[in-house]
Amino acid sequence: MVTTITLNKVEKRFGALDVIRGIDLEIKPGAFTVFVGPSGCGKSTLLRMIAGLETISGGDLLIDGDRMNDVAASKRGIAMVFQSYALYPHMSVYKNLAFGLETAGYKREEIDRRVREAAATLQITDYLQRKPKALSGGQRQRVAIGRSIVRDPKIFLFDEPLSNLDAELRVQMRVEITKLHERLGNTMIYVTHDQVEAMTMADQIVVLKAGKVMQAGSPLELYNNPANQFVAGFIGSPKMNFVAVEAADGTAVTLNGVRIETGRQHASGKLTLGIRPEHIDIGDGPGQVIGEARVELVEHLGGSTVLHVLPPFQEETMTVMLSGQQPCRSGDRVALRIERKNCHLFDTEGRALLR
Amino acid sequence: MTDAVQQMPGHGSSHPRLTGTVRHVVLIAICFVMIYPILWMLSGSLRPASELFGGDAGLIPSQVTVEAYSNGWFGLQINFGQFFLNSLIIAVLATIGNVLAASLVAYAFARLEFWGRGFWFALMLGTLMLPYHVTLIPQYVLFRSLDWVNTWWPLILPKYFAVDAFFIFLMVQFFRGIPKELDEAARMDGCSAWRIYWKIILPLSMPVLATAAIFSFIWTWEDFFGPLIYISEMRNYTVQLGLRSFIDSSGTSSWNELFAMSVLSLVPIFLIFLFFQRLLIEGIATTGMKR
Repeated sequence: MVTTITLNKVEKRFGALDVIRGIDLEIKPGAFTVFVGPSGCGKSTLLRMIAGLETISGGDLLIDGDRMNDVAASKRGIAMVFQSYALYPHMSVYKNLAFGLETAGYKREEIDRRVREAAATLQITDYLQRKPKALSGGQRQRVAIGRSIVRDPKIFLFDEPLSNLDAELRVQMRVEITKLHERLGNTMIYVTHDQVEAMTMADQIVVLKAGKVMQAGSPLELYNNPANQFVAGFIGSPKMNFVAVEAADGTAVTLNGVRIETGRQHASGKLTLGIRPEHIDIGDGPGQVIGEARVELVEHLGGSTVLHVLPPFQEETMTVMLSGQQPCRSGDRVALRIERKNCHLFDTEGRALLR
Repeated sequence: MTDAVQQMPGHGSSHPRLTGTVRHVVLIAICFVMIYPILWMLSGSLRPASELFGGDAGLIPSQVTVEAYSNGWFGLQINFGQFFLNSLIIAVLATIGNVLAASLVAYAFARLEFWGRGFWFALMLGTLMLPYHVTLIPQYVLFRSLDWVNTWWPLILPKYFAVDAFFIFLMVQFFRGIPKELDEAARMDGCSAWRIYWKIILPLSMPVLATAAIFSFIWTWEDFFGPLIYISEMRNYTVQLGLRSFIDSSGTSSWNELFAMSVLSLVPIFLIFLFFQRLLIEGIATTGMKR
């Protein structure tokens, strides 16, 4: 049972405030789709519109081709996991899981079978008689997920479900949710502001900003070919470096008098060159040197070394990520070297230029 | 000079105990003054009638007798048990009505979206400022035309229409404190607004429901004016009306019996408070959420 969700020019207004501004999106059946964006971009609102918790001000929401704008939340075949878990505090874990089934009028044996099955899947069988307040954060999270899977929905929605967990548990639950998706194969939509979560979990990432889709695609597509400067800066950690450059002839640009071959078509005038920290190297080697910079700060991460360097052509530092442990010290002068295939070029509106 | 300064802390340390003692003595004295009338009533109910208004009406009776209790209980044309039963029926029904109706209205104000919600809420709060006595005569006219005078309906039925804005306001405030995600989760679980109210909101609102129940019961039980206006036949009397009968029933007022029955009339209130007070303290609404 795999379900397609289609959004046609979907809009949401709160009074005069446009929160969602005409979103067209196709969510592929059985895919794990992640909505990601800075806070206030409308990602949670969009999710709640799909869930049926917010009305849709304009456009159409289709689930398997049927218009769902005016269908009640519970009739859309959707289950949702909330950021705060929203477990019913006065009910035991068992009751929490059974509540939706009781509401739907299932027989007691069927409810019991499903609750025990879900509890076994999520390893919460031992806690079935406990109240939510007697559970740890991770256990509550499992119960919240369990409450959604007992109803056997077509679509799962997750609204920043891991943001209340500590870092270690978050990584663990991330893996579990991904595994759950692999086993169930349902269409899932997951909202987060954490681009690492987005990159690691998603089949498809939808980057939102100010109520608009900036780009939708697979994680690597977004990483390799960001459609605009916003996506380029949002996806990837540490952030992509942006450098103001002047257009030169052909596909080249000039940076502080140095000619750099980018391999991208462009018009004349001012442009922005984007280069990821992990795509900058120092010292001798292949590629083109873009300038010599002074090392301001060195961060030794063990597996990699991050340098914050100050190049002569701008006031802000650039970030360089080198693999392995490097003997750099602050105050050193290093030559920055890049390869043509790793260059991104953006016009004054922030749109990416094609190769 | 330096000695004096050094001695100051020593002086100070003996002070807290002294001021503590003084404070307690003062507080106990004030408490005694406050509770004195009740103690006097209790002692009055236990002493012989002749001693009641004697020269030294101290707290300790010279001899203890429970005569006033049996005289009071059986002294009127209808025995006092009937009044207790009447009061109990009225108070219980009124309390149920108040809690149910007020919580329903409060749920609507706190959670449902409807046209003019703010206006209606303000209007409802406005009724808090209307004294009981202002609406009394129009209400009396209404109930008379319904032929409900000398029945209990005027004392019970209005409570089922959420007339008490104070309880509504109290509950609206409490419901607003219950996380909205719970409603939303319940909606995703297929709950109607009614089921959310019944299965989620009410069970989580025990403290405020208990508060409303306690006050509702006490106020109805203690109400003298309402029954006085509407009830004329003695078989329909409440406890409060029954108590009044001791004063003018036979020309000579039976004070002992009045005190004895007054003491008994406090017992249900005391019990109700003991029973519900536990619920008041249990704040369970937000314990399943993590923020």
